[in-house]
Amino acid sequence: MENSDIILSMTDVNKSFPGVKALTDASIEVRKGTVHAVVGENGAGKSTLMKILSGVHTKDSGTIIFDGETIEHTTPIQSIRRGLSIIYQEFNLVNTLTVGENIFLGRFREMKGLRNSHKKARELLDSIGSTINTHSLVGDLSAAEKQMIEITKALAFDSKLIIMDEPSSSLTADELKQLFVIIDDLRKKGVTMIYISHKLDEIFQLCDTVTVMRDGIIVDTKPIDELTRNDMIAMMIGREIENEWPERPRCAGEVILEVQNLRTKKLKNISFTLKKGEILGFVGLVGAGRTEIVKAIYGADRVKNLKEKDLKQTEHGESNKTKMPDNDIVNTKKAKKLKSGKRMLINGKLVKTRNPRQGIHAGIGLLPEDRKLEGLVLQFSVKENIVMSSLNKISKFGFLDASREKDIADKQIKALSIKTPSPNTKTVTLSGGNQQKCIMGRWLEINPDILILDEPTRGIDVGTKYEIYLLIKKIAENGGSVIMISSELPEVLAMSNRVLTICDGEITGEFDPEVASAHEIMDAAIGGGEND
Amino acid sequence: MIKQETLERKTFYKVGDFVLEYLVIIMILALVIVTAIVEPRFLTAANFRNVMGQFGPLSFTALGMTFIIMGGFIDLSLPGMISLIAMITLSLFDIIGEIPAMMVGMMLGIALGSLNGTILVKFGATTQAKALFITFGLSQLYGALSQLYTGGSPINRGAFEHPAPLTQALSSGTVGDLFPFYSFFNYIPFTFIVFLVFLAILFIFQKKTRLGRSINYTGGNFVAAELGGIPTKRITVMIYAICGLMVAIGAIVAFSRANVAAPVVIGANFERDSIMAVVVGGTSLAGGRGSVLRTVLGVSLIILLSNCMNLMRIDSHLQETFRGAVLVVAIWLDHRRHAKG
Amino acid sequence: MTIYTTHIQHRQDTQSFGKKVLKVLGKQKALVAIAVILIAMLFSSTNIFTLSHLRAFLLVASPELVIAFGVTFAVICRACDLSVGSVMSLSGIIAVQMINSGVPVFLAVLMAILSGSVIGFINGFLIVKQKTEAFIITLGMGLLLHGVALYISNGRPVSTRDPIFNAISNTNIPIPVIGYLPSIVVWMLLVGVITFCILRYTSFGRNCYALGGDYEVAEHSGINVVGTKWTAFVITGTCAAIAGVLLSSRFNTGSAVFGELTPLIVNCSVVIGGTSFAGGIGGIVQSGLGVLVMHMLRYGLSMFSIEGAFVSINQFVQTLVIGIVIVSIIAMDCYAIKRKKEDV
Repeated sequence: MENSDIILSMTDVNKSFPGVKALTDASIEVRKGTVHAVVGENGAGKSTLMKILSGVHTKDSGTIIFDGETIEHTTPIQSIRRGLSIIYQEFNLVNTLTVGENIFLGRFREMKGLRNSHKKARELLDSIGSTINTHSLVGDLSAAEKQMIEITKALAFDSKLIIMDEPSSSLTADELKQLFVIIDDLRKKGVTMIYISHKLDEIFQLCDTVTVMRDGIIVDTKPIDELTRNDMIAMMIGREIENEWPERPRCAGEVILEVQNLRTKKLKNISFTLKKGEILGFVGLVGAGRTEIVKAIYGADRVKNLKEKDLKQTEHGESNKTKMPDNDIVNTKKAKKLKSGKRMLINGKLVKTRNPRQGIHAGIGLLPEDRKLEGLVLQFSVKENIVMSSLNKISKFGFLDASREKDIADKQIKALSIKTPSPNTKTVTLSGGNQQKCIMGRWLEINPDILILDEPTRGIDVGTKYEIYLLIKKIAENGGSVIMISSELPEVLAMSNRVLTICDGEITGEFDPEVASAHEIMDAAIGGGEND
Repeated sequence: MIKQETLERKTFYKVGDFVLEYLVIIMILALVIVTAIVEPRFLTAANFRNVMGQFGPLSFTALGMTFIIMGGFIDLSLPGMISLIAMITLSLFDIIGEIPAMMVGMMLGIALGSLNGTILVKFGATTQAKALFITFGLSQLYGALSQLYTGGSPINRGAFEHPAPLTQALSSGTVGDLFPFYSFFNYIPFTFIVFLVFLAILFIFQKKTRLGRSINYTGGNFVAAELGGIPTKRITVMIYAICGLMVAIGAIVAFSRANVAAPVVIGANFERDSIMAVVVGGTSLAGGRGSVLRTVLGVSLIILLSNCMNLMRIDSHLQETFRGAVLVVAIWLDHRRHAKG
Repeated sequence: MTIYTTHIQHRQDTQSFGKKVLKVLGKQKALVAIAVILIAMLFSSTNIFTLSHLRAFLLVASPELVIAFGVTFAVICRACDLSVGSVMSLSGIIAVQMINSGVPVFLAVLMAILSGSVIGFINGFLIVKQKTEAFIITLGMGLLLHGVALYISNGRPVSTRDPIFNAISNTNIPIPVIGYLPSIVVWMLLVGVITFCILRYTSFGRNCYALGGDYEVAEHSGINVVGTKWTAFVITGTCAAIAGVLLSSRFNTGSAVFGELTPLIVNCSVVIGGTSFAGGIGGIVQSGLGVLVMHMLRYGLSMFSIEGAFVSINQFVQTLVIGIVIVSIIAMDCYAIKRKKEDV
């Protein structure tokens, strides 16, 4: 490989965030005019690597050479002007502005006015064969169109390297084909691209070289034809399941929760069951609808009401699959209830959860995905955060009992070994793991029949992770049922008794993790399983 | 090494935090000391009585506003509400008697407050900025209704047929009227006792009851509270209802002290002064944290400030300017305090 | 390539005609409101569709329009400014006081307007640099400035007899077709055109839209977000001060009671016009229309009152209607956002 052929080379790049080492000695070389894939599970370090390139994060050590130039410190706008553009999953577009203005955002003076911006934008859009009106608002466009605008924006800066972060996640199959045509076209024009994705099919179709990442380490970089799909999955999953996890409990009893035909705008006919003492894992990509399912069950999200024709369809489809007790349909009151797009039986009884309070009342607890925004009141103390959901326990005739409050807090702090100077310390000063334990403590105090954990170990150090695993195990052993959502496949596989894969708002498979291989499950979760 | 440094920095912050935290008390003390030195009349019994008497309508409305701000909201509807409640209550004096009229006034306050809260919750105006505009509009509405009700003319209390002893007591009565055993009682206005009673009730309500705690959670993080099973929407309506009740009492005290009560005019500036008292006291505009006791400090500071400025014969308009400046600085400091935490 | 391109048309085609009309009308609430008011006025006893009524109407509305043009900048930057009313009264008082103490009119007016810019600068500092909440800090600022205005005017209206100052707002400028316009209206139009051009045709103006639409994207795109937002507040303050000069010139008087309710009404009017608190949407024309709606309501109601016996009561009805309009418009704005969020 000649040096002039390399447009980007990163050598021994390190980056750590408080508590987490995100990148370890990452080295990567990208050749000019190729489409270079970077694959890996969620949290493998792909996004961190790209954000260092674009200047959103600053690297701790290592060297980056782009286009013959060593880059030490950079900002997003500097790297764009250097010719390095990133298209994020979350589009970097201003929804309230027109297409033309977005393409030349912040470059009004260079462009000498709006009319010229629109003219240039038109030319650029034409050059990649798009006829989107440059005067339409970006907010009115579809995801695919927005992506076109992002690509055009990158071209407007004469980008030599365009990084696409999961570009296919919001596209339909047809739109994806179009994207491929454009990428192919750009490659012919000599533009280099880094293509980040989970979806292996796309990578085999499109890319020239593949870099696999795992746990902040670059596992390998190889030309595409030297790899098979199975190799790649093996490299992504990497290690065999080791002793990082406690032995899984096996005490599943009778069915406690039965969800039938749950549907919202995003979810399509979700049906599943949960047994007493079972740990049920939800596997899927971020945005596949995992969180939406549990929020709907818990009562935090509104559920779409079914229209007459949808209902008929459901009834029809249902008679083949599951049998509802006959009297449900006969009883008009109940039949009316059934019209809502949620049918949930807890311990065989029809339950409605329209808000979280009803969810808690029905015996469900939810540990939310984002503990800082949705879980904790950060400015409040550990004690106050723990007792938040059990106010009825610590109050008599509406009056709080301070000593009971303290007892509960002390009990949970001890039971969960929350490392805090005192129960009165503000949670904002605690580490992520201990914050998470505070919310766990809140639920353990209520002891719900069904505990839903949405990414319980995200951003938590290894030691605390193990403690949380032990906790989950203990809950199951004591007869509680757990639904666990995680982006870390090994974790779900090691902990769960049963795994459901979710893709695009649908359940795509059900596996026994002791029998099924990680390959199969991953395949189902990324939606490509049936093709093989 | 690094750890030690952070420790030192932390202690440094603690000193700064301490000053920020107890700024009101420091300011009150400073104000008292400076004025006592500059103006000997400040420390006289007559002035003490004067200051106690100043715990008027504002102290009640500020108590109500404390709950609103603690819940993460804001309420500009005070002027309109005071005006409407005062006019309706006064007009009922001669018809159903004094105490029933006051009861009606308080019920009306709770009703109007609940209406405010319900409108905000139903339309999803759960941010302060949105609440600000909507409650402003409501203030206009209530004010206009009160004007329509009286035809725009003020109500003269002197023209009433029946005597109104409670009103009289709220206006100028002292504890000494009831218990003439100690001369000291003559210095404690009746209103102040009423204020202390409400303060105690609200303090216990906020600190010791489940609902009071729920207000803190709601203001601290609306989403997390909702997901944690706190009935945030009901709590929102409740805090507006509490504020409505306190505003009603404030309105009653306000018209007790004025012989002639004119619609709209009677409620002017109450929203500003209440917010100021709450924020100056140290209840954060960010919501979640606060206490009615802090508000008492805030009210005291405002009362002492005007008392001092009056004693020093500072121009009344300049006093307005000072008050505005105190408000701006208090908001700014509150923000700095919050940004650090 | 066709799949990308047909998307927009395709989606629009699926909407029924009625829905389309509703959507367009929803965006042009102000125009709809104006139409409704105009139709209602047809039933009024006085014929208001005359040039003199139009002139009188614009004359009254001009100061608030000028303020609204300025406030538009702040609102587009996803903030608001509630100190404009006090800035207006203060600048008027400053101008009158300076003229009375012998300062040349030109200089006095300039200083008055500059005072607005300085206040805008301070607001900008507190909001952009110190990152305080715009609405609450400007509310406090407004009260502070109200105190200052009371202080320097001694709580009374101050007046001047300077003919040049008087002429600023009260000259009739001949205009073909419609005869003449009072100069205050011409000034208002001038400010409108200038602010329109700034917002529409300059880099600064477009950057305001960008950072109001998405602050972080704008920052990442290399836009000087701090400077831009700060400048927006300076412009808001300046416009409010200009309005103050125009108003006090019209009456030859400066008073602290001018504009006590102005800030909230103007901010609401701007939103009624379609400039959203969500930021990044709206413009000078929309804000102007919003203010006109408010004024037509008041003007229209006062027209109705001429015939009625209880003139004063009708004034209360005006306030009532304005209160209802503010509450319902802002509540509708909130509700739309809420529905959008819930519709997962």
